[in-house]
Amino acid sequence: MNNTPPQTDQAVMIGIGEYRIGTFRMASIGLGSCIGLTLFDPEKKIGAMVHIMLPESSGRTDRPGKYADTAIPLLINELTVNGSKKKSLVAKIAGGATMFEAFSASMNIGQRNIEKVKDLLAEHNIRIAADDTGGKMGRSVYFVPYENGRVTVRLANGSSRDI
Amino acid sequence: MRLSEVQKDALQELGNIGAAHAATTLSQMLNSTVEMSVPKVVAIDIARLSDHIGEDPSAMVAFELQGEIPHGGYVVFYVSRDSAIRITNTMLGMTEMDRALNEMDESALREVGNIMVSAYLDATAELLGFVMLPSPPSLVVDMAHAAMQSLIAQMAEDVDEVLLFRTDLICAEHKIDSDIILMPESSSLKKIVLLLEQMMKPAA
Repeated sequence: MNNTPPQTDQAVMIGIGEYRIGTFRMASIGLGSCIGLTLFDPEKKIGAMVHIMLPESSGRTDRPGKYADTAIPLLINELTVNGSKKKSLVAKIAGGATMFEAFSASMNIGQRNIEKVKDLLAEHNIRIAADDTGGKMGRSVYFVPYENGRVTVRLANGSSRDI
Repeated sequence: MRLSEVQKDALQELGNIGAAHAATTLSQMLNSTVEMSVPKVVAIDIARLSDHIGEDPSAMVAFELQGEIPHGGYVVFYVSRDSAIRITNTMLGMTEMDRALNEMDESALREVGNIMVSAYLDATAELLGFVMLPSPPSLVVDMAHAAMQSLIAQMAEDVDEVLLFRTDLICAEHKIDSDIILMPESSSLKKIVLLLEQMMKPAA
């Protein structure tokens, strides 16, 4: 992980399979079946964001942010190592759309991503404060830890909502 | 798979032939000149996909590659939302730009995509002697990155890098800017590279 904080107030882009921890603005643009997950510690005003692509790592360890089953323990660990209490962490999730129904009937990656992320958060007793998942539409997600962990979801038509 | 410069050049030439045929069909449908960029073959790390494909509202007509290799990858006809409206306006003799895409636009776009992608794949099949057939088209009007990301996530192999064959097709008269993107699975890429290498070998 790149640990250098950004020099400007521009959001740091979290690409597919990437994650960051900090107090600065973060964003993942154009989530389809991918999930943008944020964990926020309201006491320390610090957060983490990851751009998950698939539910299972099947033993791969080189890109832990890419898979739900490796990303979630990793984020929790990074935040607790940094001084956050696990029980204070709050999650928000967005994404997991099904954009190409014709191709994905047997795969349904979006749905599987949502289920895996929710199962794992439940396993770790982390509360889901907001859930903007499923449907057919792509989403861009913006996370501002220093504004009390604000998460905004924007759609292709330009409309946006805080979740 | 790692590609040598020679292999890259050969793939670029293959893309060139496919795109030239697609450009001809687009030019016929619009009854206007279509310019084509030199096709690019680029390997992209998925974490950097957004440097290449943005979040602007776009129309994407996607096809799965079928045929000898059942899940061979995807090919996408990709236009900005504005270009999509200009395409159907030109074809249907309309001028209104400030409107939503309706069902008629959608079926026209599917058809344009279908004709262009079929021309692209016919040309490459003829050259290679290896048939890649397009599935029925699937249209998405949404953020381009979200659509491409969804296709990458459902590829047969868990990939960190994708190879994109990309060609711009531009119709200056109607201000239409379109893009054809072929994204092969490694199974079909290996086969294509093998066939190209055989073709380039001097006759014994």
